[in-house]
Amino acid sequence: MTTLEIGIASFPVLMGLIFLRVPIGLSMFLVGLGGLIIVTDGTLVAFGRLKSETYTTFSSYSLTIVPMFLLMGHFATLGGMSSALFKAAEGFLGHKKGGVAMASIGACAGFGAICGSSLATAATMGRVALPELKQYGYAGGFSTATLAAGGTLGILIPPSVVLVIYAILTEQNIAKLFLAAFIPGLLAAIGYVIVISIYVRLNPKAAGTRPPVPWSERMANLVKVWPVLLVFGLVVGGIYGGLFTPTEGAAVGAFGTGFIAWTNGGLDKENLIDSFMVTARSTAMIFFIVLGAGFYNGFLALTKVPQELADFVVSQGYSPWMVLALILAFYLVFGCLMDSLSMILLTIPIFFPVISVMDFGLLSLIDMQASAAMEVLNNGIPEGMGAEMLASIQESIANGVELTREQMKELGIRVTEGRVNRIESEYVAIWFGILVLIVVEVGLITPPVGMNLFIINAMDRKTKMIDTYKAVMYFVASDIIRVIILVLFPFITLLPLYLLY
Amino acid sequence: MHKLMMGLARTMAIIGGMVLSLLIIMTCLSIIGRLLNGFFHGGIMQSIAPGFSDWMISWVGPINGDFELVEAGVAFAIFAFIPLCQISAGHAAVDVVANAFPRGVNRFLRMMTEILFAAVLVLIAWRLAAGTIGKFGNGETSFLLEFKVWWAYGASLFGAIIAALVGLYMAAVRTYEFFTGRIQIWDGVEGEQ
Repeated sequence: MTTLEIGIASFPVLMGLIFLRVPIGLSMFLVGLGGLIIVTDGTLVAFGRLKSETYTTFSSYSLTIVPMFLLMGHFATLGGMSSALFKAAEGFLGHKKGGVAMASIGACAGFGAICGSSLATAATMGRVALPELKQYGYAGGFSTATLAAGGTLGILIPPSVVLVIYAILTEQNIAKLFLAAFIPGLLAAIGYVIVISIYVRLNPKAAGTRPPVPWSERMANLVKVWPVLLVFGLVVGGIYGGLFTPTEGAAVGAFGTGFIAWTNGGLDKENLIDSFMVTARSTAMIFFIVLGAGFYNGFLALTKVPQELADFVVSQGYSPWMVLALILAFYLVFGCLMDSLSMILLTIPIFFPVISVMDFGLLSLIDMQASAAMEVLNNGIPEGMGAEMLASIQESIANGVELTREQMKELGIRVTEGRVNRIESEYVAIWFGILVLIVVEVGLITPPVGMNLFIINAMDRKTKMIDTYKAVMYFVASDIIRVIILVLFPFITLLPLYLLY
Repeated sequence: MHKLMMGLARTMAIIGGMVLSLLIIMTCLSIIGRLLNGFFHGGIMQSIAPGFSDWMISWVGPINGDFELVEAGVAFAIFAFIPLCQISAGHAAVDVVANAFPRGVNRFLRMMTEILFAAVLVLIAWRLAAGTIGKFGNGETSFLLEFKVWWAYGASLFGAIIAALVGLYMAAVRTYEFFTGRIQIWDGVEGEQ
């Protein structure tokens, strides 16, 4: 067997182990270890790497964000912020048709801004909103589906643990990825609200009515969300204002939510230990997967499988859009079986090289040259530029022809193909990351094994799982429509980047 | 026995949590120090109260080598978190297919998984020990604070050894369960149908 064949053969072995319920991190570790031993003909290399690889993986500065965000999410739960958010949203939306459900989505979006995990968002908001939804006569399946879908906003709206992992795997800027997730996150919330209003019109019995809340009370409730805004503003503002790094931002967020929880009396010794326990379990789980994935991907890289696969796809001349659509469809299907983090860690090292050699034509060299040139010319013709040169530049722009080196030199701009390609590959990486994030999150609410559905359904003993399944399909449909829109118009995702960088 | 192991795992998780909290607080202090330092360096404070500002600058600032401490601390914290995850079956797995298997098969798989897991944790601890000895031997120090790197390795090694112990214990429990058919530790994944 050649090295490449061993690399390819490792994949079915890995899938086999995973489907035998061997924990995903352990499966990847074992296959990576075994593969490395076979490929390097002995235990020397593998065991040598293990001397320091566990320590260096766990001591990664950027990955420190993960436990900090997890702890921040639990502190936020303890600080009464979830109910403050829900009350505020309910005041403005509650009396509308399906309004309490819409308020749940709004509150989930708000909570997502201080919590980086979908499961935690779903669980926290479920505890607050489910009783209210019940009280105002909302159908069981509809209520649970709404909250399960709302929970996915936790990870779409930054901060987001999955995005941190994606950023590290693909060596992208975490702050830029967070920024790019904003508009898709808001679109998700809007999409869910639209789904609710359609659903209650199709099934008028699914929602009761709630009397409107007087304006004075609405305002009073709105004021009570200030801690959420403060923490969010501090973390996000600090990161984008250049005051601190994303890791430091996570520390500030964890400290801030912890402090608020403490002043609200939600953080006693028992709760603190409890937060440590929950954080410890999720952190250990995530980092073990990260470790296993690191080991497996190290082995894969040695066999050159990702590179060969990328070369193969390019040589076949498939359309980039076709490849992208296939990858996203793959995630949608697998998302029904596997949790989002494992899926990202398992597949991004294989898919990302493929995507990054594709040309999506997000940027055009000629357009960028033209706009840079126009900017210079609009500020006045540069000194010493001859009339002939000016005419030739204007002619190139008008005809859509690439500018020559001399023309650019005269203008004082440098928009070369290499530079445009560099920007384009960054844009593709970010755009692809957001798309993947969304499709793996859809997996959290797709039957039969969407984790969010289980979590919310377990809170509501009276609702049958099948009712949740039925209602959640509307939300899944809205997710799929959103993915299609974002695929067709990359501009929507990248807009904040155009504006800020 | 279970009480002892559970207590051990929980204690480790609490220590890890406290280390994580300390790192969070230290990072925040470091940020405040850095911002204040910049503030006293700035034009306004330098023109209003130069003497006071210079005195402030002399002791207010970012914590030296804060990120080295974060890295060393968080590595320990994560190693300290593993035992709890191990004993409470917290690792992510795909169970759609396995759910369809008969109970006996599932218990067998569970035993094999835990044995493999224990073996891997022992391997990790053993190799980390070798790594620690290596760092001890070459006397490597960190870049800014110049603390001995083997201290950080040693702290992590402590966590890794406890994780290996708990892993072995869980392997023993699941083996016993498979051969006797009596479930010792219920955590919802026993595979009862």
